[in-house]
Amino acid sequence: MLPTLRGRIETRLFLIIVVGLPVTLLYALFVGGLPYDGGLLLMLLGVLLALLVVGVILDPLYILIQRLRWDRDWPFAYQFFFSIIEFVIVLSLASLEWIPWLDEFAFQRGETIRLASFHFAWVFLIGFVLLLGPLAVLFVRWRYKGGRFGRL
Amino acid sequence: MFRVTIEASDGGSGSTLSETRELAHGDSLIFGRDPGPGGVTLPGQGVSRRHFELVADAQGLTVTDLGSTNGTQLAGVGLGSARITTGQRISAADTSVTVRYEEVEAQTAPVGPQSRYITPATPENNGLPPDIPARGTVDVSEVHTGGRPVSEIAYCAIGAGIGSFVWIDHLRCYGVHEDDIVAIGPEDIPYATYARYCANSQIPDHERLRSNSASTPDNIWGFPGYALRESVTTGNPRYAFQVFGEPTLAESYTPRAGRVFRSFDREMKRINWSRMFRKGLVQALRKTSDGRYAIYWRASRDVVPEEQRNQVTLAKIVHVSTGYPATRFVDDFQDFLGRHPEMRSLVANAYEPHEHIYQKIESSTEPVNIMVRGRGIVASRILQRLSEARARNPNIVILHSIRSPIRGQQGAKYGWARRPVRGHVELQPFNWPKASWGGDVRLKYENADAEERGRILSQLGGTTTAERSDWIAIGERGGEEGWYRAIFGSVKHIAVRGEKLGIDIKTPDGFDQSFEADYLVDCTGLVADLSRSLFLADLLNTYELPQNHAWRERDGTWQPGPRTGLEVSNAFEIEGLRNGSGRVYAAGQVTAGGPYLAVDSFLGLQYAALRSVDDIGANRLTAMRPIGPARSAIQWLRWCAGSTP
Repeated sequence: MLPTLRGRIETRLFLIIVVGLPVTLLYALFVGGLPYDGGLLLMLLGVLLALLVVGVILDPLYILIQRLRWDRDWPFAYQFFFSIIEFVIVLSLASLEWIPWLDEFAFQRGETIRLASFHFAWVFLIGFVLLLGPLAVLFVRWRYKGGRFGRL
Repeated sequence: MFRVTIEASDGGSGSTLSETRELAHGDSLIFGRDPGPGGVTLPGQGVSRRHFELVADAQGLTVTDLGSTNGTQLAGVGLGSARITTGQRISAADTSVTVRYEEVEAQTAPVGPQSRYITPATPENNGLPPDIPARGTVDVSEVHTGGRPVSEIAYCAIGAGIGSFVWIDHLRCYGVHEDDIVAIGPEDIPYATYARYCANSQIPDHERLRSNSASTPDNIWGFPGYALRESVTTGNPRYAFQVFGEPTLAESYTPRAGRVFRSFDREMKRINWSRMFRKGLVQALRKTSDGRYAIYWRASRDVVPEEQRNQVTLAKIVHVSTGYPATRFVDDFQDFLGRHPEMRSLVANAYEPHEHIYQKIESSTEPVNIMVRGRGIVASRILQRLSEARARNPNIVILHSIRSPIRGQQGAKYGWARRPVRGHVELQPFNWPKASWGGDVRLKYENADAEERGRILSQLGGTTTAERSDWIAIGERGGEEGWYRAIFGSVKHIAVRGEKLGIDIKTPDGFDQSFEADYLVDCTGLVADLSRSLFLADLLNTYELPQNHAWRERDGTWQPGPRTGLEVSNAFEIEGLRNGSGRVYAAGQVTAGGPYLAVDSFLGLQYAALRSVDDIGANRLTAMRPIGPARSAIQWLRWCAGSTP
């Protein structure tokens, strides 16, 4: 991938909305059944929001790393690795009570961490596979625009 | 032009044939049992349908075997491709063919192998047929009464190479009908010139090109890339994993040449290329009084009778992608060939056919010194080929001429990053840093003014090769074992010493050194001088089109140097040719130094095509509209199914 800062943020937002939200709704349905378990859904959405915030804060750092690379690229392996790091950071911050919209006690329990981890795995894997190429099927200009959408 | 006398006799049946043909530079003549229109039908059993071809260029004739069953021999030696001298005998199975040829017209073109693409312009001959008007705009009625057959079309691509193909592929995926498009060019298949350069520079079909997985000239989306396709068809997941890890955890994935060519074949069929293709050479382009363009061209003698060859096509949207106007040697090399034409078979540019050199050195048991000049990717390929030749003749010694040593911390620098160096060669997976194709470098370069672009281009450009462990091993192992030697310095003079070449080199610290070599292969590349193309030279003159420049740093300021490509807008439009709602776009090497760095690459051609096709749609020049997600997805599914767009 050859992302620019704005491209990173746009792609991140896009994946959270287009992949993250529907996957969260389906996952909550699968785990809690109907009617929706409001507490679970809010918790998962809260994690999603935390992932977005942490990611957007880290994006400029990734761009700095890219500048140190002669090709100024972002290998898929890095994308894979740092996505998992971002989730680990969210879990840690949540258990330290640093994320105001997440209940810190919940994230000190194995059960919540397990639920959140499976939820993350689905959101992340689907998004990552889309980045490997399928996204360009819908957005033919995206790969030239450093991850931004719209016209060239 | 050459007058070629052909005498053939079949040892089996005793039947003979005698013919005289004229071959202009760039023309080819096919020999075989059933060679097609214009070819020479050979008698005899064992002759393949298309057995071999003769190609004429400024220096003479080259014979190339066309994959015949029984092979082609020259003076008793089997060959892929080789130069022939007049009177030499070529054998095809039991049939022997004697070819005599002579120059029948004053030849003023500079010495050096010409690209087959375009007739070179010469000062004595501005070359245009007299019926093409000299002024910039012609009246449409005049075009119709000018005596040439007239055809009318919406979209016309000039060149019919890979650049044209990719552009037309985009048009077709955007919904343009095949009957609204033509492509005019000299080669039947769009990748013919490219494939020839690959074969000459030692990239056979099973070798890998310097191109990435998602650079897919047969697929506008870059998905599925070549890596995924190779993994699926071979059942080996390593190629897909290579893309995941590249370039840090794995060597960058590059596709096999043969797979890329087959993917072209498939897409050509899908978009019906043969129906859109017109075989011929474009002579000139003129604006017309009704907001279109008149394209004057000469159809190939393979397809029309002699008296109908000059034609004119009226088009609303034109695309110019004619590739490298010519291959050219560096000056000292050119100078040597002028003085010693008899030594022609000992020296070669890596992009011209030079298989005879490998055959000679492999069949010899004597010590052979061969000098390879240049340190780019082509030099790496030639070194690889020579190291393979050493398996047959272990007495081959490679002298590798490199201008100056580069140490670890002397690679090009851009921002905080420095290009890695190994064995005095700068390493880079592709011919530009990757972000030039679609990352922040592309953006920054596009938004820059001419001087800033020139500066970025000179900082990021330069000669590089790919980091391949087998190539690095050649230099290191060869150095230890004494059959590879790097020679630093600039070549000053090439002379004849007895049977050998004498090469004088000035070392970086000012000493003169002299070397003897049996052969010399120049890998310093292709020179893109637009004025060497008759068509482009006329276009530049008639419309006074501005060109880009290479920029150089002198005394702390950046100044424009030699002219490079045609100036085009960010949408690759040649703005000096705008005519009402008519537009001319360009792509590829002819736009070097313009709005995009990697113009001369598969992905660069795809980018240029996308920009120009979007521009046509956004400005509502025709009924075609840019594709959004839904149409894009539908077209992609059609691609997967192999059905017409």
